[in-house]
Amino acid sequence: MSEAAILTEGLGKSFGALAAVSELNLKIQPGAVYGFLGRNGAGKTTTMRMLLGLVRPTKGSARVLGLDPTRETELIRILERVGFVPQRKQLYGWATPAELVRMNKAYFPRWSDDAAARLAQRLEIPMNTAFKKLSIGNQSKVALLLALAQGAEVLILDEPTAGLDPMMVDEILRTLIEDHISQGRTIFVSSHHLGEVEQICDWVGILEGGRLLLESRLEEIRQEFRLVIASGEGLPVSTSTDLVSATTDGRFQRYVVAREAERFAAELRTHGATILEISPVGLRELFLHLVRKEDACTPGNVGAKAAPVSSFS
Amino acid sequence: MYAWKCWRESRARFIFLLIMFTVTALLFTLQQGLEVRDGWWYFDRSEYIRNPGPTAHVVFSMILSVLWCSGFLSAVFLGATASGSEIEPGTIEYLWTRPRTRASVTWTHWSVCAAEMVAVAVVPIYLAAVLLATLTKHWDFPFLFFAPWMIVIVGLPVLGLTTLMTALRRSTSGGLIYTSGVVIVYAILRQIIIVPLHLNPPTLFAGPLVWLVNNNQFGVPPIAFPWGSLWRAVFLAAAFPLAAQYLLKRTEV
Repeated sequence: MSEAAILTEGLGKSFGALAAVSELNLKIQPGAVYGFLGRNGAGKTTTMRMLLGLVRPTKGSARVLGLDPTRETELIRILERVGFVPQRKQLYGWATPAELVRMNKAYFPRWSDDAAARLAQRLEIPMNTAFKKLSIGNQSKVALLLALAQGAEVLILDEPTAGLDPMMVDEILRTLIEDHISQGRTIFVSSHHLGEVEQICDWVGILEGGRLLLESRLEEIRQEFRLVIASGEGLPVSTSTDLVSATTDGRFQRYVVAREAERFAAELRTHGATILEISPVGLRELFLHLVRKEDACTPGNVGAKAAPVSSFS
Repeated sequence: MYAWKCWRESRARFIFLLIMFTVTALLFTLQQGLEVRDGWWYFDRSEYIRNPGPTAHVVFSMILSVLWCSGFLSAVFLGATASGSEIEPGTIEYLWTRPRTRASVTWTHWSVCAAEMVAVAVVPIYLAAVLLATLTKHWDFPFLFFAPWMIVIVGLPVLGLTTLMTALRRSTSGGLIYTSGVVIVYAILRQIIIVPLHLNPPTLFAGPLVWLVNNNQFGVPPIAFPWGSLWRAVFLAAAFPLAAQYLLKRTEV
């Protein structure tokens, strides 16, 4: 498979005056495990819904497995090959998980009864209790079982572990790794639990205010991204492509740079800065730097106030 | 499998309607022979044997004068489980991410409900007819074989209207309330035209039912079959679900 599993070009969705998603460009390769991060209302769910034909884009285009979700015939072919766990895991209250499994398998030619039975046992799902009588955690597990057992090439998971206890989260992540990631299937997952994302994802995209602020390999973030803390008066905020974020904290400037932190620090020194620290930056720290709105920061950090500083000459 | 889901969701309403109308039809059938003696109910068959033809005709007319509404009621109560009703509770995300077109979902539901509606119309009338025939040994009921189908034909536009209203209001209760509202407003407007203005416009789509009930009563002159009303019923029976299908195809959730 050479085409992207998920491809969006200038994808946008507006609800009246509110732009939920703007100019979104994603290219998720087959086999990638892509963590889609953002605060509540950042546009993650709207993006996923556009990929599944639940919401129509107002701008741009999207392709899933090379197919256009805005065309009904192509959408049906997408839905045969994509498993989806929605944010609101609402299924028929009168149906038992066993009935839901029977109902669901009829839709998917690659459905695996073995996988469904194994997952039901592994996730300890009471299969003969009506869905409405299950706890929120068990309801989430049923939604996951239905998506995971359908033999999907692409899994789109919108906060799949919300409401689950740590034991179950661990079980689900192990299931994803063993049954899906190891088989080279594509996973596009949104989550607020950055630890989970770090555990399974190889790519992350950070969305804020409907715009993609950052897209990078997780390995690259671990190895290349650095936090540079400097003190000094009137330090610049660069528009350099290497600079991911800059925030002001009193007399201190905190910079996150994507690469060549030493060269960046040397450049700051030429502006009279004292470099206090150069350290690796974790996903959580990077996320907070990018989406925190109360701090002044660089272009690219949407919604933040512009920093009253000069730029590099 | 979606058909099974539709059946599973509507079966309680279906069984309730079926039992209600069957019991009503059988009670009306037996009513001529029921009497109270010394505080106990007894059944006396003599009237059925003495005047089999007229008794059968009277009883069958009474049954039709009550059961004509079974099509309307089953259309409203069964139709309110259409896919539009899943938008408010949130199960629509599950349904619309299954590999089926929204059109097929709409028509599958419509077909299941139409089949249930046929059963609700056919079973009570035919059961009552069999019981009546057994009691009277008289098998000649005018319009017996047409009666349930007239009820169904007139019920189908209401089923379509309920499907559309459910899609518009996005919930079962919304579908029920708005369909009832439309029917009541239509009836009131029609009465306003008929009574003060002394006009008698043709029925929109209920003509076959009016024809059936009228032509089964003693002393009422027979009326010609209202073909125009029948065709309007057929047109609306198709138009309302098509409008619902169009609306749902463009609905975002």
